[in-house]
Amino acid sequence: MAFKREARRIRWMIYLFLFPSLAIFLLYRIVPIAWNVVLSFQEWKLIGPNLFVGLSHYLEMIKSDVFWQSLVNTLIYFFVGSPIAIGIAIFVAILVNKPLFGRNAYRAIVFLPYPITPVAIAIIWKWLYDEKVGLINYILRSLGMVKQGIPFLQSFSLALPSVIVTSIWQVLGYFVLLTGLQSIPDDLYEVAELDGAGFFTQLFRITLPLIRPTIFICFIVGIINSFTLFDMIYIMTNGGPGHATEILISNIYKNAFTFNRMGYAAAMTFVMFLFLLLVTGLSNKASGGEAGEVHYYA
Amino acid sequence: MRKRRIQIVPHLILIIVSLVMIVPLYWVLKTSLTGENLFIYPPSLIPENPHVFYFIDVYYWIPFMRYFFNSVLVSVIVVVSNVVLNAMAGFALKYSFPGKRLIILTYLSCTMIPFQTTIIPAFLLTKHLGLLNTHFGLALPLMSTIINIFVFKASFDAVPLSLHDAAKIDGMADWKMLFRIYLPLSKAAVGTNIILSFIWSWNNFIWPLIIINEREMQTLPLGLARFLSYFEDTSGQMYAFVLMVIAPVIAIFLLNQKRFISGVLSGAVKG
Repeated sequence: MAFKREARRIRWMIYLFLFPSLAIFLLYRIVPIAWNVVLSFQEWKLIGPNLFVGLSHYLEMIKSDVFWQSLVNTLIYFFVGSPIAIGIAIFVAILVNKPLFGRNAYRAIVFLPYPITPVAIAIIWKWLYDEKVGLINYILRSLGMVKQGIPFLQSFSLALPSVIVTSIWQVLGYFVLLTGLQSIPDDLYEVAELDGAGFFTQLFRITLPLIRPTIFICFIVGIINSFTLFDMIYIMTNGGPGHATEILISNIYKNAFTFNRMGYAAAMTFVMFLFLLLVTGLSNKASGGEAGEVHYYA
Repeated sequence: MRKRRIQIVPHLILIIVSLVMIVPLYWVLKTSLTGENLFIYPPSLIPENPHVFYFIDVYYWIPFMRYFFNSVLVSVIVVVSNVVLNAMAGFALKYSFPGKRLIILTYLSCTMIPFQTTIIPAFLLTKHLGLLNTHFGLALPLMSTIINIFVFKASFDAVPLSLHDAAKIDGMADWKMLFRIYLPLSKAAVGTNIILSFIWSWNNFIWPLIIINEREMQTLPLGLARFLSYFEDTSGQMYAFVLMVIAPVIAIFLLNQKRFISGVLSGAVKG
């Protein structure tokens, strides 16, 4: 009898302990996702009840050039920016994973930008890119590579790559550490060397196949971290020039909170959600479903 | 000969990479002390006649202390509630009980919902709760985080069962064990929770941008963005302000490198 009461008391404790965090996730994750779908079918009004408008927001969206542009820019960020970042990171990771004097210092330096406030990084880089007083143009001019400063962030073709470079700069050290987690036994390389395998043969036959899961984990992390891109774009270009650096989230933000078009923005958000879900799911599958494993090396 | 070559080339590459990482930050420090490099050509490498007047300007031009207070208060709420709520949830998940699978599934599916896909309803919800322009409203969505719950769970799972049983025989209630046995043995997990949740809260931008419209309630990143739009040309003050915002994060990183890195890496995968 006492035993049963004890079990009931523990059961109560379990639910009581789980309740606060579950409530927060319910309130700020699950309810919003559902509510967002409802909103996307409504014309949101500041005062009075919302109107049901069916699919009209979605139809407007697929006819909107800005939407397509921001979708394409988001795709470029994921499928061009991320692979470049991961590529550089693997290269650096190979270097710092060899027994090398001062490698821990290198690791710390490369990682240093990662925790810094993205808004601050955006301000710093906005100024580095400046046409007249920016450091990058100063260096290019000093080397005689250009005569006049390049207006990186005001240029239609260079603005998006410039913002992507900034986000790579921030996340690089993180990817270096992630890809470096998977330790590859030294004897593999020694044997390969004996067999006369060069650097590239070693890279493609040993390193890359062995860290394949990690590569896709980097990809997923890149997606999760992509919210910092909003901060950078908001500060550096605000989506401009024109909509050259508009991404889905900046487009959503403008529609929802500048133009008060909550319903339309909700429709775009739902599309973005499905898109992120798809990319994450595919990467997870491509990683061999081992996404959880790196966890234990950390 | 071959060995030598191998040693020099990696160092050369890594030094270049390190310079790319360090130089922008160094330039910010230099400009905040001298303000010179916008006007002097060619710019000097070492700060000449450094002074702290730009930092003092920031202090008087904007309500810096107010922004600082807002950021600190929100971060304290977030960090404390993360440690407490996540430890409680992680502890509860040690037990087996009906509905456990469903609850774990709920947590894991929440990791698939990035915060940015929830901003519109989250804003409306916070408005209905009357929490716009409040510290609590700023903190609420971050007050528990799934990664950190699993960090605690992993740490609690490693605590020997014999300790649990011994305490039970001594008549200790289960909820007390969390605070008397499990938490004191999980210092690393507590550290990870503190560091991760502090960084997320301190750097947060989109959420304050959405729910704050009173000047008095702005956090530091928001203040930075506003400062940029008001005072476009005052570089010395701008970079002094930037440094004042990022200094705590850099200090935490430099003081706890190991824990910091293992913390963010363990956070990586559980999303």
